[in-house]
Amino acid sequence: MTTWTVARPKPSPLQQWWVLTIRVIAPTLRSGELAVAISLSAVFTASLYLPLKGIITTVVQGSYAQYVMPMIALQAVYFSAMSGALRSATDSVQEINLRFRAMPIAPMVPLAARMSGNVYRCATALATAVLCGYVIGFRFYRGVEYTFGFCLLVLMIGIALSLVGDLIGIVSKNPEATTHILLLPQLILGMLSVGILPPEQFPGWLQPVVRNQFYSQFVYALRALAGDATRSVAWPTWSVIGPALAWLAGIMLVAVQLYAYVLRRQR
Amino acid sequence: MPTCDKSVIVNGIRKSFGDVTALHDITFDVVRGEVISLLGPNGAGKTTIVHILSTLTRPDLGRAWVAGHDVVSEPGRVRRSIMLTSQQVALDNMLTGRQNLVMVGRLQGLTKSESRTRATTLVRDFGLADAADRRVETYSGGMRRRIDLACGLIVRPEVAFLDEPTTGLDPRSRHSVWDLIRRFKGAGITTVLTTQYLEEADALSDRIIVIDRGTIIAEGTNDELKRRAGSGYCEIVPQDRRDLPAIADALGSLLPESDKAAPTMTSDRIAFPAPDGVATVAEALRRLDSANIRFADVALRRPSLDDVFFALTKESAKTNLPTAGMTS
Repeated sequence: MTTWTVARPKPSPLQQWWVLTIRVIAPTLRSGELAVAISLSAVFTASLYLPLKGIITTVVQGSYAQYVMPMIALQAVYFSAMSGALRSATDSVQEINLRFRAMPIAPMVPLAARMSGNVYRCATALATAVLCGYVIGFRFYRGVEYTFGFCLLVLMIGIALSLVGDLIGIVSKNPEATTHILLLPQLILGMLSVGILPPEQFPGWLQPVVRNQFYSQFVYALRALAGDATRSVAWPTWSVIGPALAWLAGIMLVAVQLYAYVLRRQR
Repeated sequence: MPTCDKSVIVNGIRKSFGDVTALHDITFDVVRGEVISLLGPNGAGKTTIVHILSTLTRPDLGRAWVAGHDVVSEPGRVRRSIMLTSQQVALDNMLTGRQNLVMVGRLQGLTKSESRTRATTLVRDFGLADAADRRVETYSGGMRRRIDLACGLIVRPEVAFLDEPTTGLDPRSRHSVWDLIRRFKGAGITTVLTTQYLEEADALSDRIIVIDRGTIIAEGTNDELKRRAGSGYCEIVPQDRRDLPAIADALGSLLPESDKAAPTMTSDRIAFPAPDGVATVAEALRRLDSANIRFADVALRRPSLDDVFFALTKESAKTNLPTAGMTS
């Protein structure tokens, strides 16, 4: 009878992070989550580009593919963040987080592993979105550095949204509610942004909101980083990128503070 | 901390959640290798005690040591010494039983091959070899609980906390989990079990701590607690329930005044204390025989743990304790 004889080794945080990261990533291949994420990017591209292309080119200067690409990329990472949040809520409701908390695992290791999984989801979503963008005619016009800047900004936005989603998942302990909580702002902010239409197309009283909300500021920054064949897109100066970075920093800061609060409350 | 032969020492623990006081001044200890049950109804504070001892919750006041380590100042060391199974089975449903075990083994620091070897040993010993490679979401409640317990044993714990491990299981699964828990004792693992089933506490533990509304209201071995509810009682079932008043008359002084009003036409039996055990029963039979009353059944009953529990909780209600009522 050997059930009771194994002594406790010293756990390594790196090994724990790796095991928990693989735990998050491996099921995305088996469960079809990855396939869904890839097809979602194609669906966003088709649904945002095809029906609106003919209508909106009259109010948008330059290529509509260039115009709508930031929105496609943002939608893709937003839905990645939602998948991550769903997983986090599932872990909470199944109480596996409770098991981890009672094991010799540093408190930040499970979060780091979930966020690594989220980075993987966002990177996959971004790669697919860019590929789909290329199909409809989107191109990076400003060279390698700005292309890298575009990808990095989308990933950072994805990470910030994932952090918020993960937090909502932990707090709600309810996968269905988590999806609904996250879907609503996405729908409202996505529609009331400059992602699809120029701000002038919105009623005058709504235009300040449309221009300045974070989704629009991300779109402005990404458009500037991607560039255009014509000179209709602003150069990515600090005045264009700055507000997006400020929004990003703000969301991260609030999420981290809330995280610390939730972790304290759990004790 | 007080080392010695005690695996768990709890000293004056208090805990409130907002305005609700969940635990009042809880003090007890558990000797190495002992199995104790924290017995109480829902909301008694059992889970809060287990959460404090397994470092998931901090006490507001008081101190506790598990395997020689302070639960507040040395949570990491405590976590390296314990296993916890919570009320709800905590497994990754997307993984198979074996994969869950391997994952927990790797998290505990075992190498991949050590983890696999341990997982194979455990699924065999826990009777899950055939189901080991199926996803956990396809398992029955009993199988899930067995894998859950096995996860806690992937490396040897010094202290095991089992929080209502059989709640929601069917009788057969409950008994198979009981068999596993009995092996904890055989392996010398100190075990703190919470339960609301008196029968379970009776069957599994060396000692029972009865908790009601955040306070320990009694502590002792099964026999000690049963003795607190008196020496037993005699129960008589007449052939014809219309004889109940006649039986009450015939028993005379054997039946306390408070019980004389008890027999009604809705009851089919009469029960009264038997301080002298068999001698009381013999005396009752002699009196019934003299009164020429025929009966269907006569029994001398020892108090069950249920009797003890209800007696104790009634006592604690009378003492006007402050109300408490968090999740049990």
